[in-house]
Amino acid sequence: MDTSKPAIFVNGGLLPMHVRKRVRTVVQVIGSDRGAVIGKSTDDQQLSVKGTPPSVPLTNFVEVIGIADSEKSIQAEIWTNFGDTFDTYSYNQLCQLANGECQLLFL
Amino acid sequence: MAKMNLTEGAIAKITSGGAKAAELKPTLQVTELKQVHTKQPQQSDRFRLVLSDGSHLQQAMLGTQINHLVKDGNLRPCSVVQLIQYTCTTVQGRMIIIILELIVIVEECALIGHLVSAQKSLGPPQSFTNQPVNNSSNPQSFGSCSLSGGAVENPNLTVASLPNPRMNQLHSSSHSSNNDSVRHGATNVPPSHLKAEYGAGLPGAAPMNGSYSDQCAIFRNHRPEISQAPGTYFYSSRSVYQQPSPMYPNTGQVAKNDAPPKLMPISALNPYQGRWTIKARVTAKGELRHYNNPRGDGKVFSFDLLDSDGGEIKVTCFNAVADQFYHQIEGGKVYLISRGNLKPAQKNFNHLRNDLEVFLESTSIVQPCFEDDNVIPRQQFNFRSISEVEGMDNNNVVDIIGMVSSITPAASIMRKNGTETQKRILQLKDMSGRSVEFALWGSFCNAEGQRLQNMCDSGGFPFLAVKSGRVSDFNGKAVGTISTSQLFIDPDFPEARRLKEWFEKEGRNVPSLSISREMSSVGRADVPKTISQIKDERLGTSEKPDWVTVNATVIFIKADNFCYTACPLMSGDRPCNKKVTNNGDGKWSCEKCDQSMDECDYRYILQFQIQDHTSITWVTAFQESGEEIMGISAKDLNSLKYEKQDNESFSKIVRQVLFSKFVFKLKVKEETFSDEQRVKSTVVRAGKVNYSSQSKFLLDMMEKFKSGNSAPVASNTESTYPNSGANSIGIESSGRPCGPLGSNQVGNNGYIARKFGSLPSEVGQHGNQYSTKFPTSSLSLTAVVLLAIPQQIALVS
Repeated sequence: MDTSKPAIFVNGGLLPMHVRKRVRTVVQVIGSDRGAVIGKSTDDQQLSVKGTPPSVPLTNFVEVIGIADSEKSIQAEIWTNFGDTFDTYSYNQLCQLANGECQLLFL
Repeated sequence: MAKMNLTEGAIAKITSGGAKAAELKPTLQVTELKQVHTKQPQQSDRFRLVLSDGSHLQQAMLGTQINHLVKDGNLRPCSVVQLIQYTCTTVQGRMIIIILELIVIVEECALIGHLVSAQKSLGPPQSFTNQPVNNSSNPQSFGSCSLSGGAVENPNLTVASLPNPRMNQLHSSSHSSNNDSVRHGATNVPPSHLKAEYGAGLPGAAPMNGSYSDQCAIFRNHRPEISQAPGTYFYSSRSVYQQPSPMYPNTGQVAKNDAPPKLMPISALNPYQGRWTIKARVTAKGELRHYNNPRGDGKVFSFDLLDSDGGEIKVTCFNAVADQFYHQIEGGKVYLISRGNLKPAQKNFNHLRNDLEVFLESTSIVQPCFEDDNVIPRQQFNFRSISEVEGMDNNNVVDIIGMVSSITPAASIMRKNGTETQKRILQLKDMSGRSVEFALWGSFCNAEGQRLQNMCDSGGFPFLAVKSGRVSDFNGKAVGTISTSQLFIDPDFPEARRLKEWFEKEGRNVPSLSISREMSSVGRADVPKTISQIKDERLGTSEKPDWVTVNATVIFIKADNFCYTACPLMSGDRPCNKKVTNNGDGKWSCEKCDQSMDECDYRYILQFQIQDHTSITWVTAFQESGEEIMGISAKDLNSLKYEKQDNESFSKIVRQVLFSKFVFKLKVKEETFSDEQRVKSTVVRAGKVNYSSQSKFLLDMMEKFKSGNSAPVASNTESTYPNSGANSIGIESSGRPCGPLGSNQVGNNGYIARKFGSLPSEVGQHGNQYSTKFPTSSLSLTAVVLLAIPQQIALVS
């Protein structure tokens, strides 16, 4: 497993803390808008994901890993379909823990 | 009739041993003469008599060789006789003169002298009644003569009626028959007084009854006695007992047995007690129950008594007696009870703290006591705290009091015998910081249960006091009601008040540890555990197997012998499944069914290793769980490997299963293998992991950890991770880079583990102690997160 480029788990609220850093998050695809995918983060914030989505159709939930270029958008390099159901609550908790108490575990 | 002179002081001399038959041949008067019926046919009748020397009375027995004197009518009550040959013996503490030879001087004579029983220890019943019996009775009848003769002729004849009630202890079955025999003779004794015993009882009637029944009692008494010692005549079956003082002094009015009965405390009752009377309040009145047992049908009624000293005793009556008293007894009222039988308590029906029980007979007396002076408490409890209940054995009966924190609606439960009953469960909390599940059964559900539910629903916190609840070990320890339980809602006892105060101050907020559904739970357990806990907690080593649930990954599968050839025949409603052996001719034979067959079943007996973040262990899975895990039937897999020799496909299947995670429900039990004890785990069910709920569970635990850091109270959830977590990492406090963790964990946990080295050495924490130096101090917390992350990632469905 390639650990040379670690990505920080973020949700909508945490993204601003990591602008210009490599982040990862799971969003629920709401729609697309001028080449960017609009997604709802696990804490119900709207994020826009830029980049080229994969050729396969996106499922409801997608994980994107990339550089955060603004407080509300990510330049995604890797897109992963997470399926149609997803436990957003747990993921949200994970993001908070990963950035808060258990920070040291992740970086 | 000429006044006969009796040998004065003879009795005293004889009984003191100062005189012997050789020297003293006293002239005495027979004041009483009774025949004793013996059960054994070969025994001749014995006659008992009371001799008087004009001042003292003495019990005596007629030697059988001179029985003819009585039978011929020469020797009668009131006869004056001279003793020629006699001996004086002590039988059971009582002196008795055995007369071997005597001369009848006068056949009938008026009773002479003032008479006193010569014996200090409660002498034989001098059955003189205070009935105004006229003297026209026929002296021929043995029993009655003494009644009449004594009462009228000599009012000074004493009554020592104390010992009488003791006779009542014998079964009443003999009583009635004796009544008949005596009544037969005692025409002048109206049977009405017998009836007077029944019902509420007139105080005056009591002594009469007593003395009358004494006579009967003597007859009764002798029956068992004679069977014990054919040769000797026992005056009384009682062993010597000490009354505090003779209740009825040896001088005094004749037959004035209506001295106020001396009350005893219940705790002083003993089977050797003579006439006793207790004054107590009915704390519990049972139902008039009908029963049917191999001996026949019957009715039984019992009630509990409590007296002013706090002694408690249970009183039971059967059949007619039950009918008689059932309507008299009212709960909460005070009664005077006497003339019951004392017997050892039957602990299965009797939960009071007394080794004795009272059995009432038709001769027993129950008098309501009208001056209820409130000295006797209404109810007595022996409250235990819930933490004490935890240590109690199953089926113990206890009183508890607590605050009802929750109550379930009534549910219908099917009982073992097929009947349905209602059940409610409520949680009781008390000052010990523990809570317990309390089950209300049957009628308690509707009455008190509904009331409690209403109180809880409206936001109140009712207090409940329970008398006689039974401890059970269902899901940890729980308490339930039994038929004799009593519930008191918001009672006004001192304990209740104290509990209420505690609750107001702190109890409301303190979470309490439930002793029900505890960690070492027996029976169905969906309590998640870690593999190391199996060893740490020595699960499976007790009598019964332990059922646990673990989340673990399959690490290694033993590919040889993953199945066995099984007998497909049905034995009963289940297939036999015993291993069949190959006959060699293509057939299989089963030992148990003793048959052979062409085709056999193939059943899994899969041995594999599972691992979680704490430890690794071997488990065995049988057919059903084996199929769940492997995803292929044993038969197919078997044919794949052995018949088709398709090792590649076989390996592929096995590889697929490896490192897949399951929720295993295990049955853990220690077994003996040729002198070796080993704990074996069997997979009862292997289910897919529900990541979502698992994550939530872990998040919950983490929350509890965090709050657990500040308060010393252990978490009260079903989760058992807290105890294991800290230990289970297995890292020594030297801060060694987590060796075991790094090497054991596979997959994506590895890289995180390496980073452990940088953590401050908050390692080696044990139990619930968490250091606060490191904010997310517990390693268990991190372990939990470790679990959480792959699951998050694995949330790809």
